[in-house]
Amino acid sequence: MTFPTIEFAAFFVVVLFLSWLLMPHPRAWRPFILVASYLFYGWIDWRWVLLLVASTLVNNFAAHLIGRSSDQLTRKRAVFAAVTFNLLLLGTFKYLGFFISSADDALNSIGLGSSLPLTTIVLPIGISFFTFQSISYVVDVYRGDAKPVSLGDFAILQAFFPHLVAGPIVRVNEFVPQLRTPRDPRAVLWGPAIFLIAGGLFKKTVVADELARRIVDPVFGDPGAHSGTEVLLAIYGFAAQIYCDFSGYTDMAIGIALLLGFRLPQNFDRPYLATSLRVFWHRWHMTLSRWLRDYLYVPLGGNRHGESKTYRNLMLTMLLGGLWHGAAFTFLIWGGIHGGALAVERWSRDRFDTARIPVWLGWLVTFHVVCLAWVFFRAPDIGVAFDVLGRLGASGPSPLVTPVLVLLTVGAIAVQAVPSDLWRRAEAWFVARPAVGQGIALGALLVIVDAAVGQQGVAPFIYFQF
Amino acid sequence: MDRRDWTYEEDDHEEIGGRPSVHDPAHPGIGDPADPRLTLPAGRILGIVLIALAIAAVFNSEAMVRAGEGMQPGTTRDVVLSVAKPLDSVTGAVGLHLPREGFDLAFGQEDKTASGTELEEGSAAILERRVQREAKPAWRDPTPARPLDVFVTGDSEADLVGLRMNDLDTRGLLDIETLARNGTALTNPGFFNWELNAQQEMDARDPEAVVMLIGANDGFNIEIAGALYAPATAQWEEEFARRVAVVMEALGEDGKRPVYWVPPPTARDESFNEIYRSQNAAVERAVESVEGARYIDVFNTINGGEYTDQVRIDGQKVLGRQSDGIHFNREGAQVPAEMVLKAMARDFPALGSDASSP
Repeated sequence: MTFPTIEFAAFFVVVLFLSWLLMPHPRAWRPFILVASYLFYGWIDWRWVLLLVASTLVNNFAAHLIGRSSDQLTRKRAVFAAVTFNLLLLGTFKYLGFFISSADDALNSIGLGSSLPLTTIVLPIGISFFTFQSISYVVDVYRGDAKPVSLGDFAILQAFFPHLVAGPIVRVNEFVPQLRTPRDPRAVLWGPAIFLIAGGLFKKTVVADELARRIVDPVFGDPGAHSGTEVLLAIYGFAAQIYCDFSGYTDMAIGIALLLGFRLPQNFDRPYLATSLRVFWHRWHMTLSRWLRDYLYVPLGGNRHGESKTYRNLMLTMLLGGLWHGAAFTFLIWGGIHGGALAVERWSRDRFDTARIPVWLGWLVTFHVVCLAWVFFRAPDIGVAFDVLGRLGASGPSPLVTPVLVLLTVGAIAVQAVPSDLWRRAEAWFVARPAVGQGIALGALLVIVDAAVGQQGVAPFIYFQF
Repeated sequence: MDRRDWTYEEDDHEEIGGRPSVHDPAHPGIGDPADPRLTLPAGRILGIVLIALAIAAVFNSEAMVRAGEGMQPGTTRDVVLSVAKPLDSVTGAVGLHLPREGFDLAFGQEDKTASGTELEEGSAAILERRVQREAKPAWRDPTPARPLDVFVTGDSEADLVGLRMNDLDTRGLLDIETLARNGTALTNPGFFNWELNAQQEMDARDPEAVVMLIGANDGFNIEIAGALYAPATAQWEEEFARRVAVVMEALGEDGKRPVYWVPPPTARDESFNEIYRSQNAAVERAVESVEGARYIDVFNTINGGEYTDQVRIDGQKVLGRQSDGIHFNREGAQVPAEMVLKAMARDFPALGSDASSP
């Protein structure tokens, strides 16, 4: 089940009603929200629920073993086993097909021939996100940053439907304390919740899907048939599309959780206003970048073991971050561009007074490095990525460049500069309107969004495939 | 906006990694405790949500019916249609479709449904016709200076096949436009009417050849004279053949252009294959009755009619299918693309002389 569908609308109305009805009775609420979340997840394929349950059982057992044991060796073995289990689970679904295919190629290339059956493996939606949460849980318990929690608490954290399939990646210390305090039904954060949901819906269905359909997909599908102007708009358009698609989903997830009384961590904080790659990575997919920092970059040594090791760690972290998206050279190059740019930035900052760089120049360079990396991220293979870049200077007619698409692209980036206070005032104004007026306004928005989507329907969210 | 919105936060020491918080996210107002100006009681929120959904259902009832028609057969589809259809009858009668139609017009959406078209209610007589295969149609051979206008359409399978046809056209003899209508089929014209769409597209584009890839979403019952027939039954196959012929005729316009019809390949799920075999038989039958129609048998040709995730391209084994066990991936789509180009080369000899037609 995904958010902008008829099924989800019906599901959510029932869950919203029953959740608040049962909230004063935790012994009824907890199994209810767990079953509702499993129903949400199993709607596409019930076997995925078994996978999620298995992951929950194994990781909670490991966390308790680590938490209970005073023997350091036992603790170390348990955390190692749990992390290995999680990586194998993720690796099997994400990379097994790639490894078989690579082994087949290798055997053929040395003339041995191969009868390995090439196979595609269905990737359960959200497996990356709940696996990362599991790893952070057992490692936090091992480090003493968190205590083991009950199986019920952990199961709800893992399965909680708003964040289950595409994040944000939530930590046990952020969520479980909220489970232990009944939410207050008299003060639900309606203003931020509905702005996040409506904004996320608009960003996904109107901006992201429209840009994908009308400029990004045609250009990346056949770059040779398009002029430089069209290619340039497609590159900027993809930057806007992926932001609106992914942040739109997590905005809706955070808003839906707020309506149920729970607060999830933010995942995007105006990333395209960043004036350096460092700031960009503090603001883009924040819960993943935090995960990469705490469970990969810092364990590798972070920036505490000298200059050259800092550069190495940055590059390794970003390359692995790229490979997490998929076993393809395009994602490796995407990570390499970010790792390299972060290293160059750090090298410059250690030697020059970078604070004197004009803000506009920092923004311009950062944004274009990010866009360059997005070309490799979006292209189906390296050849197409270079074809896209090679067409930037091509002349020719540009029928795909329309005022609406330019407006959507620029608007998606410029809206991040709207002062926070303005949003707060708008929310307060909306909340103060009569309930009927609010319902009519939201109903009208749904009609408009559905008309914008049309018969082609809402395209799958980009991050569902990761 | 202050400078901190744009620049590096001095208290962040690591190069990467955000500081997301559940207590003070960037989105304003989610403080701890919550700003009382931004909160409402849960009961009132539920009321607002119900009002919004009711308004959306009333003014979007036609779209709800279409969405229901487009769902896979099952309980969800039955429930959606049992609510949406009566609601749509009432709202349509009192003119509540008008606002939505206005928005559709504003967003440039096409009208893709109709009632009383040949596709829904036509006669089976169309299948009784027999075209003369011996006479060579007068279709123009392409040149690099004047490439052939080819329109590739159908369901989601059309996207990558159109793309790969373009890749294979190394001499620039083809000017290919691809338009996939995801989730569409011939068995549910209430969701998407392919006859009407074919007429609209042919009027607007007037291509010199059409490639139609469709059939993977056709596992629906078909209603004939008030009775429902399950996929792959004799009555279903007969009616499906008739609908294929109707759409072929709309695309080909009495032999004005060839129509290369590509039904789905084998699927991993054997229950789909049973339906696909029936469809293939129906397409073969329809081809016999429509001038310029060509059947591309990807089902039996690729891997000898046996499903595997891999296909052979230039003698090499490659992973050719997507994880759903139906669609080709980008690499695998080369196989049906080559088959289409080979069939086209029989009608357009210029395509057969080198790499444009393997």
